[in-house]
Amino acid sequence: MSVSPLPMTSTALQDELKRIEENTRTLLRVSTSRAKVGQTPKQVIWTFNKAKLYRYIPVVPTEQRHKVPLFLVFALMNKPYILDLRPGNSFIEYMVKQGYDVYLLDWGAPGLEDKELKFDDYVLDYLPRAIRKVKAVSGSDEFTMLGWCIGAILATIYAALRPDDGLKNLLLLTAPLDFTDKKAGGFVRWVNDQAFNPDKLVAAFGNVPGEMIDYGAKALKPVENYIGSYLTLWDNLDNPRIVESWHAMNTWVTDLIPMAGATYLQLIKELYREHRLIQGTMIIRGERVDLSRIRANLLNVIALADHISPTCQSESIMTKVSSQDQFLLKVKGGHIGMMAGSGALKYTWPHIDSWLAARSE
Amino acid sequence: MSDQSETINPLDPLDTMNTMRDASLKAWKSMRDTSLESWSKMMIDTVNSEDYSQITGQWLDTYLTLSQPFRRIIDTMMTQVLTGLNMPMRSDVTSLAERLTNIETRLDDQDAKLDDILSAIKAVSVSKPVAGTSAKAKGAR
Repeated sequence: MSVSPLPMTSTALQDELKRIEENTRTLLRVSTSRAKVGQTPKQVIWTFNKAKLYRYIPVVPTEQRHKVPLFLVFALMNKPYILDLRPGNSFIEYMVKQGYDVYLLDWGAPGLEDKELKFDDYVLDYLPRAIRKVKAVSGSDEFTMLGWCIGAILATIYAALRPDDGLKNLLLLTAPLDFTDKKAGGFVRWVNDQAFNPDKLVAAFGNVPGEMIDYGAKALKPVENYIGSYLTLWDNLDNPRIVESWHAMNTWVTDLIPMAGATYLQLIKELYREHRLIQGTMIIRGERVDLSRIRANLLNVIALADHISPTCQSESIMTKVSSQDQFLLKVKGGHIGMMAGSGALKYTWPHIDSWLAARSE
Repeated sequence: MSDQSETINPLDPLDTMNTMRDASLKAWKSMRDTSLESWSKMMIDTVNSEDYSQITGQWLDTYLTLSQPFRRIIDTMMTQVLTGLNMPMRSDVTSLAERLTNIETRLDDQDAKLDDILSAIKAVSVSKPVAGTSAKAKGAR
């Protein structure tokens, strides 16, 4: 927030008071209201339990469009509109303009009746059904799947279990897959501590509350998240571009959803503690998840300043898959900033587009 | 800012005060950012330590243990109250939702089958005119 010269006249004093009033109003508005998010035109083409599948209205004529549809799978414990945050800062809007037929799977918020949902259900019930709809609507037997964070875990498991289902390209963004380094990041340390009992937590709440997951993510960088973020807003209250960007991001950050209890237990026990996914011992409904069965073209995008999924958790998959065409892209930024920050439009999105365009015909 | 600095009169006490205030604010801001940065590093080190993991794990365990009897009492009371009022309980709503999900699963299976039938019909209708064309061609011969 800029500082005006000391008021010398009554008019200057009035102006100064007016500015303070406006800034206070802005501060109140952005900290107490929800920004308009997810504005790219779309239609719901499928629903299943709490999940919804959106198709974004194409803006490029059919003949100029990429033939292979792009299917987006976000994490389970946050809303997926981070991929379509606001006009001008939306990955989905960008990809639609680049001529992709874009589909987004919104998992929805699990209720108590969903507490028994596991990775098995998401991967073998929800994903195949949504993918069938993507294929039916797009008219293409092949598709690209992009998974981000926990969504990348789901996409990886699916790609390993159903390699012949038409998956042409697999895009993984900040994928937490390998937890063998017990000192990489706060999460790994916390959940591996003997005092932490995930069974007790799930028994108490059924589903793990969104607030608890949010605390875990924020506590990894407490000063930045609890103080720094608000100071940035305070310093830039007279910059509408930064204020609106902060407002949209704050809307997303505070829009919390719980995580199904059984999925949480699987994540902590089988993945974080027992490394079953990366070691090829994870069993999904009786089928072993063998990463070497993944043959789809692979783009693995890693954020260099990711404190939630440190780079070592995402890199090792490159040596485990059988994909002939694979590329590891390292970009500046954090777990979310890499795709939704100011640099995403200049760097991350164009890189994803240029890699994918060549493989979507 | 540059326009203002150009018109600053060093002999004017208000202008001098403005300049001094700007300078002190700038210094305070830089000091604030520096201290926040070092505080942030310290906090990141703290939350990444074994001690922090142990303390938070133990705290959570204690909270869950202590709150368990209260949660059980509240559950029992709620069940009694809702039964007395002839209202559905949480378990009733949950089982109803599960049944709805089962119905939805069946509907989605039917939808998939319908899609298959439609695509089969389309395939047949595409192949039919071809057969008609070849019959016409035979007739022409």
